[in-house]
Amino acid sequence: MEQIPTEQMEAASTLAVVVSSNEPLLLLSEDQKVIAASASFCRAFDIDSRNVTRKHVRELGNGEWDMPNLASLLAATASGSAQIEAYEIDLRRPGQGVRNLIVNARTLDDGDRSRVRVLMAVNDVTEARAEARMKDELVRRNAILLQEVQHRVANSLQIIASVLMQSARRVQSEEVRGHLRNAHSRVMSIAALQRQLSTTKSGPVDLRAYLTQLAQSLGASMIEDPDKLSISVNVDDSTVGPDVSVSLGLIVTELVINALKHAFPDQPSGVILIDYHAAGDDWTLSVTDNGIGMPEGKDAPKAGLGTGIVEALSKNLLGEIEVSNAGPGTAVTIRHRENANSKNMLSDAV
Amino acid sequence: MRNGKAVVLIVEDEMLIRMGAIDLVLSAGYEALDARDADEAIRILEARLDIDLVFTDVQMPGTMDGIKLANYIRGRWPPVRLLVASGNAILEESSLPAGSRFFAKPYDDHAITDAMALLLAEAS
Repeated sequence: MEQIPTEQMEAASTLAVVVSSNEPLLLLSEDQKVIAASASFCRAFDIDSRNVTRKHVRELGNGEWDMPNLASLLAATASGSAQIEAYEIDLRRPGQGVRNLIVNARTLDDGDRSRVRVLMAVNDVTEARAEARMKDELVRRNAILLQEVQHRVANSLQIIASVLMQSARRVQSEEVRGHLRNAHSRVMSIAALQRQLSTTKSGPVDLRAYLTQLAQSLGASMIEDPDKLSISVNVDDSTVGPDVSVSLGLIVTELVINALKHAFPDQPSGVILIDYHAAGDDWTLSVTDNGIGMPEGKDAPKAGLGTGIVEALSKNLLGEIEVSNAGPGTAVTIRHRENANSKNMLSDAV
Repeated sequence: MRNGKAVVLIVEDEMLIRMGAIDLVLSAGYEALDARDADEAIRILEARLDIDLVFTDVQMPGTMDGIKLANYIRGRWPPVRLLVASGNAILEESSLPAGSRFFAKPYDDHAITDAMALLLAEAS
C-alpha cells in the first residue's frame, strides 16, 4: 500500500475494515479521492487494487466512474446536505454490458469534525434486475397467452352456436328444431361460464354472477316473450371451483330447458326460479316452476337426454335428486350432504 | 335501405361464423352483405351508399381490427350504425365510437337481432 499523506492519516483498523469488506466499499475524502477500496470493489469492477488509493473517483478504471450525477451526489453527501440512499446508476465500460448499480453513501461519523470521510457502498444488481425483468416478461406473456386462449375458445363456441342456430332455422320439423335449440342452449351455458372465468382472475367462481348470466343467456335464447315468462335467480354468496360450477351450470340449463318445454303448454306465463344455498359443505340447488306440474303414471314423459345429464352430473357432485310438487308447478332439488354422502350415495350409485 | 329493407354489412374472417351471421341477418328480414376483413368492408362501403348497419368482429387479419374499423366508419360515414362482437369478454367500450353496441362472443342470436332492430329504429 502506498504512503498516505499525513493530513489523511487513517487508523489502520478503519482501513482494514474497509479493505476486507465483502460488500464493495470505497472510503473517500471530502474531495472524492479514494482513501481505501475494498478488495471486493476492485474485484467486482476490474480495478487494479495496487494503485487505487489517492485516485479521484472519476479516475478509477478507465474513467467509467466519471459520472456527473455521482460526483454531484458525493459532493452533497460530503457537505452534509444529502445522503445517497439506494441511488441507481448504470456503469458503462467499453466492450462490456451495462451494469445496474445501487449506490449508498454517507459520511463517516468518527467524532472528528475537522475531516470529512465518505463511505460509499456499491451493489451490482444487474442479475437481479434481469431476473425481475424476465419474470415480468413471463407474466406478461402468460397473460397474453391466456387472453388468446380465451379468445379462441369464445370463437370456437361462436362457430358451434352459429352452426346450430343456422340448422335450427332451416329444419322443417318443430321437434328437431327444439333439439337443436336445446343443444344451442347447452353450448351457451358453457360459454356463460367461460365468460365468467375470463372476467374473474382465477380460482373460485362467484355462483350468483354466473347463474345470473346463465339465466339471462337461457332467457334470451329460449323465451319468446320475456313479459310473460321469466327466470329469476336467488343465490347466496357461495363460490365454487370451476369444475363444480360447470356441472351446476349444466344441471340448471337442463332443468330450465325442461321447465320451459313442459311446464307451460297452455298458459304461456310463469316464473322459473333458480335457487342455490350452501351451509358449510352442504348445499342445495333447486329449479322450481309454477307451471302445470309433472304428469304421473302413464302420462309421465320418457326420460330424455336432459334427465340423463342431470342424473349423471348430480351423481358426480354426490347430490341427491328429488322431484316434488311445488303446488302449482314442479320443483327439482339437488341436495348435497357432506356426511350422508360418502356412504349412501356411493351404495346407491352402484 | 334497398327496396325498403335495411342493409347490413357483416365483417368476419371466420367463414362459419360469417355464414351464421348472414343467415341471422336474412332471417331478421334485412339484406346482408359480407366482408372478410376491414379493407374489404371499406371497399364495399365506398361502392355502395345504402348500408345502414355494420356488424363487425374485432380480431381480424388485415390493416385494421374491428375497433379501428368502427372508428373509421364513424368518422367517414357517420350515419352508419355499428355493432361489434368479440371473443374477448372484457373490451374497453370506451375504445368504441359512441352509440355503437358491443357483444361478447358467443353472442345470442336474439340479442343481436334485437340490438339491430333498436339501432336501425334510431337511424330512421
